[in-house]
Amino acid sequence: MSAAGSPNPEYVIARVRARRGSLFGDEEYRKLTRMGPAEIARFMEESSYDAEINALGSRHGGVDLIEYALNRNLAEQFDAILDWSEGSLYDLIARYLRKFDAWNVKTVIRGVYTDAEQSAVETDLIRAGEFDDRRIRRLLEADSIDGVIEVLEDTVYEEPLRGAYAEFEETGVLVPLENAVDRAFYERLLSGLGGDEPTRQYESFLVAEVDFRNATNALRLARSGAEIDPAAYFIEGGDLFTRSSLARLAQNVDELVEYIGDSQYGEELGPALRELAEADSLIAFEHAIDAALLAYGDRLGTIYPVSVTPIISYILAKERETENIRAIARGKEAGLSPDEIESELVIT
Amino acid sequence: MFEATNELGNLVLSTGGTLTDPNAAAALAVGLAALGAGYAERGIGSAAVGAMAEDDDLFVNGLILTVLPETIVILALVVVFIVG
Repeated sequence: MSAAGSPNPEYVIARVRARRGSLFGDEEYRKLTRMGPAEIARFMEESSYDAEINALGSRHGGVDLIEYALNRNLAEQFDAILDWSEGSLYDLIARYLRKFDAWNVKTVIRGVYTDAEQSAVETDLIRAGEFDDRRIRRLLEADSIDGVIEVLEDTVYEEPLRGAYAEFEETGVLVPLENAVDRAFYERLLSGLGGDEPTRQYESFLVAEVDFRNATNALRLARSGAEIDPAAYFIEGGDLFTRSSLARLAQNVDELVEYIGDSQYGEELGPALRELAEADSLIAFEHAIDAALLAYGDRLGTIYPVSVTPIISYILAKERETENIRAIARGKEAGLSPDEIESELVIT
Repeated sequence: MFEATNELGNLVLSTGGTLTDPNAAAALAVGLAALGAGYAERGIGSAAVGAMAEDDDLFVNGLILTVLPETIVILALVVVFIVG
C-alpha cells in the first residue's frame, strides 16, 4: 500500500477481473428476492461473503447480520485493492475510495451528535478508505465534535470542518459540517489528475458523477419545495451546473428536467427523464441515474483494458451489488413483494 | 526504450568496427529480441500471478501465456543460422 514505485495495473486488473466473475448476476438476484433474511444470510455464506458471515454470525442476526457482513466485505475488498496497487495507480484508486473516509467522518459526527453508543457507531463504519485503524479508533473515542476535528488535524477535513464549526455552534444543525466534509472530498477528487488518455476517461467519469449528484440534489430540492438555498448543496467540479444556474433551476422542476434533457447526458438520461415526467417518481429517476453511471463504468472498463478504468468499473459494480443485496434484505424485512423489490434493484 | 536501443544499434553499425561483422549483428538481433520478450513477459507475468492468486487452477494457463513471448527469441535464433 504505497504511492511509490511504478504502477502495476496488470496485476491488479487480473485479480479484480477474477473477482468480478463471482459477483451476483440476474439469476442470483431473482433467487434472493424470493428468500427471507435468514435464507439470504445462508446464501451469502455459500458465496464470497462466507468469511464475514461466519465472523459476525455469532453476534448479529437477521437483516443486521447481512448489513454488517456487506459493509465488512466491501471494506476488505477495497482495502485489498489499495494494498495491491502501487505508484500512480494507488493515487487514482485512493481518490475514489476516500469517499468512505468522508462517510466515516460523517457517521462519527452524527454518532457524537446523537450520543450513540460507540459500538453502534463502529458497526456502521466502512473501513475502506485511507484512514488506518488507529485513527478510526481515536475517532470513535472522541466525545465531542471538537474532539473529532482534533483527531482529523493532519487531514484535508480539518480546515473545512473548523470553518463550519462556528456555523454549527450557532444553528445546532449538522448540515454545515456534513457539507464541509463532502466538499473537502470532492475538491480533492478532481484536483491534479494526470494527463494520459485513460486518466482523462476516468476524470470524465468523476465529472459525470458530480453532475449526476448535483442533478439529483436539485431535483429533490425542486420537488420538495423546501426553503433551502440550493447553492449550499452545490458540489464543485461538475460540467453541467454552476452554482448560480443550479440555484435558478432548482426553483422550477420543468425547467430543470428540460435543461438536463438538452445536456450532454440527455441521451443516457432521456428514458429516465421521460419516466420522471410520466410516473412522477423520483425514485425511478434516481435508479436510472445509478444505472447510467454503472453502464458508463462498464464501458469505461473495456476501452482501455490496461489502465485504472477496469478497476474503477469493478469498484462500482461491487458497490452496486452490496446496495442491491441490502435493498433486498431491507425490503424483505419490510414485507415487500418480490416484484416490488425487483423494481428497487439496479441491474445492468 | 525501443527507440533508444534501435538508435544505439544504428550508431554502432554505422561507425563500423566489429559489429559490421555479420555474426556480431546476428548476435545483437537475438539480444534485442530477448529484450523485447522480457518486456512483454513482465506485463503478462504480473497479470498471471494476479490471476493465480485468485484461482489456483489458472497456474498452467498462466505459465503458458507467460512464456509465449519467448517464441520471439526462438525465431530470432533462426537469424543466427541463416547468417552463420
